[in-house]
Amino acid sequence: MATKTSVAKKAPKAKKSPVALLGYSLETMEAAKEHNIPFVAVVPEGFDIALKEDGIDVVTWDFYMRNQNSERLSEKLVERGVSHAVPLYEETVEWAGQLNTILLKDPRAFQRALLFRDKAMMKRNAQMNGIRVGVFEEIHSRDEALAFFEDINEARLRLQEEAPEPVHLKPLSAAGSVGHVFVRTRQDIADLPDDAFPCLAESHLAGQEFSVEAFIHKGKIEFMNITEYVHLGYSQIVPETPKLTKIRPKIRKAIEKLMKAFGIVNGMIHPEYFLDAEGELHFGEVAARVPGGHIFELIQKAYGFNPYAALLLCSDPNTPKSVLDKFFPREQDHKIFAANLMVYPRKASIHQLKFPEELANHAYMDRHTMFEPVTAKVAERVGFGNHYGTVFLAGEDPEILRELVQRYEEVEFYE
Amino acid sequence: MSKTPKDKNPSPSDTTGVAGPQEQAMLQALEALEKADAFAKAKYQTEFYRRATDLFENDEGMQAVRRQAHRFDSAGVFHTGPWEHPERLLPGLVAGGLRAEGQYPSVEIISELRVLAIAAGESEHPMFSAEEAKSFLQTVMGLNLDLLYGNETEESRLRPKVYAQARRLLRMIEKEISAEGLLEQVLDDIDARVAQRPIDVSLTLKMIEQAENIPAGPNPKLVARLDRYLKATGAPTSLAEKAGSPTNYRNLLAKATPHELENEAKVVGKLLTLTGLSSEYHVALLQHVLKNDETDIVAQALDLTEVGQAHLAQFREQVLELMRLTIHPATSWIIYGFQRMLERMLLARPEVADGLTKLSNLDLCTSAQQVIKKPLPRGSGISANAAIVGGVVAMIGQPLGVGQGNNPTCQGARALSLWSLHDPGYLLQLLTSAVRDDTVEFLFEGTPIFSKDIGGGVAEGKFDLRLDPVSRILVPHLDRVYDEMMRRAALRGEDPHKWVNPALYGRWVPNSLISPFNLINQSVVGYEDFLRLFYATHHPSYDEGHDLVYPNPVGLLITNVHGRFLGYHAVSIQRVAEDDEGKIRVYFFNPNNEGRQNWGKGVEPSVVGHGEIPGESSLPFDHFAAHLYAFHFNQMEVGSPDAVPKEIVLEVTKHAKEGWGEAFTWL
Repeated sequence: MATKTSVAKKAPKAKKSPVALLGYSLETMEAAKEHNIPFVAVVPEGFDIALKEDGIDVVTWDFYMRNQNSERLSEKLVERGVSHAVPLYEETVEWAGQLNTILLKDPRAFQRALLFRDKAMMKRNAQMNGIRVGVFEEIHSRDEALAFFEDINEARLRLQEEAPEPVHLKPLSAAGSVGHVFVRTRQDIADLPDDAFPCLAESHLAGQEFSVEAFIHKGKIEFMNITEYVHLGYSQIVPETPKLTKIRPKIRKAIEKLMKAFGIVNGMIHPEYFLDAEGELHFGEVAARVPGGHIFELIQKAYGFNPYAALLLCSDPNTPKSVLDKFFPREQDHKIFAANLMVYPRKASIHQLKFPEELANHAYMDRHTMFEPVTAKVAERVGFGNHYGTVFLAGEDPEILRELVQRYEEVEFYE
Repeated sequence: MSKTPKDKNPSPSDTTGVAGPQEQAMLQALEALEKADAFAKAKYQTEFYRRATDLFENDEGMQAVRRQAHRFDSAGVFHTGPWEHPERLLPGLVAGGLRAEGQYPSVEIISELRVLAIAAGESEHPMFSAEEAKSFLQTVMGLNLDLLYGNETEESRLRPKVYAQARRLLRMIEKEISAEGLLEQVLDDIDARVAQRPIDVSLTLKMIEQAENIPAGPNPKLVARLDRYLKATGAPTSLAEKAGSPTNYRNLLAKATPHELENEAKVVGKLLTLTGLSSEYHVALLQHVLKNDETDIVAQALDLTEVGQAHLAQFREQVLELMRLTIHPATSWIIYGFQRMLERMLLARPEVADGLTKLSNLDLCTSAQQVIKKPLPRGSGISANAAIVGGVVAMIGQPLGVGQGNNPTCQGARALSLWSLHDPGYLLQLLTSAVRDDTVEFLFEGTPIFSKDIGGGVAEGKFDLRLDPVSRILVPHLDRVYDEMMRRAALRGEDPHKWVNPALYGRWVPNSLISPFNLINQSVVGYEDFLRLFYATHHPSYDEGHDLVYPNPVGLLITNVHGRFLGYHAVSIQRVAEDDEGKIRVYFFNPNNEGRQNWGKGVEPSVVGHGEIPGESSLPFDHFAAHLYAFHFNQMEVGSPDAVPKEIVLEVTKHAKEGWGEAFTWL
């Protein structure tokens, strides 16, 4: 700062505007600190006290509250000179959109955010932009679901004695695979609860499923990671194996198409695709926030860079290109393959952890997060969110990783 | 973090010199945690807990973690968690923590290792001295004798890993902190429990069993104290010791002379009176003399006074019948109840005598039978009727020995105690209804409430039924009835207990209730008037002679050792009297059987030594007043509120405001 005694009055160095981090994420806050990115943490009530005690600038907010007082959040952030907002969780996406409409003076930011929050609209948008999607429809009742199911099966020319073609039902705006129902029979439809509607019905896409974590800045893909799903909801490998590496250029083109369709210029997106037997890519869905399933941790292990920091750097329109160039490694330069397995007890009642010794001593074993069970009763799974712990693996041969995660998915980790 | 404790000495290197892979992983995790920013520490804690848990599986591993314990506080191992401030830790919670789920047991162990490091002088903490650390750990040992010396239980068999590491920890504590003073501490604890003459003696028995394992040291007094308890709960005489088992003892008794028999009876009787405890040997003796109808020996074995003896003589038939029915090796704990019941001359009341007879022959409903028989050992041959009648004898013999156990049902326990004291006939009637018809009926403002028709309850149907037989049966019913009455009396602008207590407990509860609290906005209004009225209705200096006749069910505000507000509790004032030092004290029944407590700021209810009748807790009047939440009174029996000196009112108000008062707004 200029003082009275200095001769040449220098303009005080412009203090960097803080970014608003929406949602409580220690990883993101740590990454911001590490890269000297000032921030304001916007967190639900209860999460603020400890943060405040440790010197973090905090604003509390209830992201589920959608009423007239919503402008209070932007007021609080504008007061603090916040430059833009970064959403970290599914329910913060539209808030980030609304805030960036004001902060970045980007009139379409909110509407773009909404596209990410309604799966049906998302698919319609993709389809209208020439992206191949499966057959989908918004469903409002069991009758409609049944009609959809029958139509698909007719279209696939299913004979009576063959197993029916399955379909998927998903809530319109939940995160990840919450509430996802895999429908195989008419009975599955009859068993649906009333509150499952309205929802999105999709035809089943067969093939290799994978996700992409694309870090985008000024409309250009700075870095693209591919996460190969071994078993959706259970295990994945980062980065992808040769079968998908072959078609990286194709995937890149698909991402660029997606970027155009959704108007993505700065930030990170996490789309899911299916690669079918004919080598065609089918779009599943896309999220504009930190992916679940510990994917960021896997990316860090495989490539060595911090994806939370990458998210922040790319979300800031003013990040210099030189910084990004220095930050990201080349996509083929991953140090190792990283994989994980999300563990669910197979028994109905458990009382003690019994981690398989063979796995604990395996050379590819990195770490795990499993403790003694919290209750004896194992709850029914809703979506893929409530796993009991995760096993992280890393090694040079992805096929060994694949074998490990497939094998140990069948093993009981509790007694 | 301004209050970082100093790391005084570098950690002594381990004996092998090279850390194994598990230890290395733990060290790495600890380092990462140390390096992390304060706000982010929570993210790194889990990995450290995880790695430490792996090491807890054997002694060397736990030692490896122990070696790093001096770093834990400054590294932020407990940052923003419940263990962050060692000076606020309560040794009584360690037992539960070690047996809990998820990460909890691991962090509990890590916390104790940190306390060990402070006790050993390896690290310093500004708020927790080495002396305090040592004392903390000694108390922990005293409260966890079962982990130090106990055997396998069903729970420990189901979760061997958790229990193995808990035991490992206690052994480590025992090694580092001398067991000196442990026996005395434990004996003091047993003395205090026994002084309250609880009906449920299971915990006391366990403690005595384990106290035997504690190295006694050279102090003969301690040995003698323990010996008395061992005799009371095991072989009481040299003859019994010679016999080696209760069955064999009986054989020897059969061959004993009348004089010898009398001696045996005198010894067990004395032990019974001194401790309130008895053993299978005592049962064997009684069963032997009952066979031959030797009433005199029975009287001696029960150590009856002239009053009790006369009562026994008058109702001989029934007493002997009841004893034959209910006294078994598995129910030795009711023997004390018999002594007390006879001293209270309860069989002279026809409703009690008849009620007991009725209950002995009653057809019990299936669910009652299951509940009653569940805790009885298999193959014991005790019928449900025998068990429940035995339970009643104990309860009406020891009205102040009722406990609520591990349940939030202080109201129910208080009710049982009140009825045992003043209306045992009614208690029997209620019990009969519950065990025969699986329901109890109460009237609330003219409308009947049948417990079998309602759900709910403060405990929401979830009970820890490790209680005496009568409580096992009645508490679930009473809890639902109480909850229903509270519901019906809600939203009247006054504390519902005003209507509920008289309806639940009975007509001797006065109809006026005063409470200065507004729970909706957590405020206190009119505290001075409230205090003055309490003094004017209960304190002999101001109540103008309107002394308490029946117990007064009152509400208290309970605080922890730091004086901080914990919650509400129901107790009943038994009497207000002068102690040996001329101080006016309130003597009250506390259903949680933890009569000795520490409510902080110098308020420590005592259970013995200040004129307490066994089962009573007591406090100086002012201290009690400072924790009062609500009380009943008779509007026609109020003394002079204005005569209470201003200083006392101010003093008590100040105490209240600085303690639980911080959680309320004072208007």
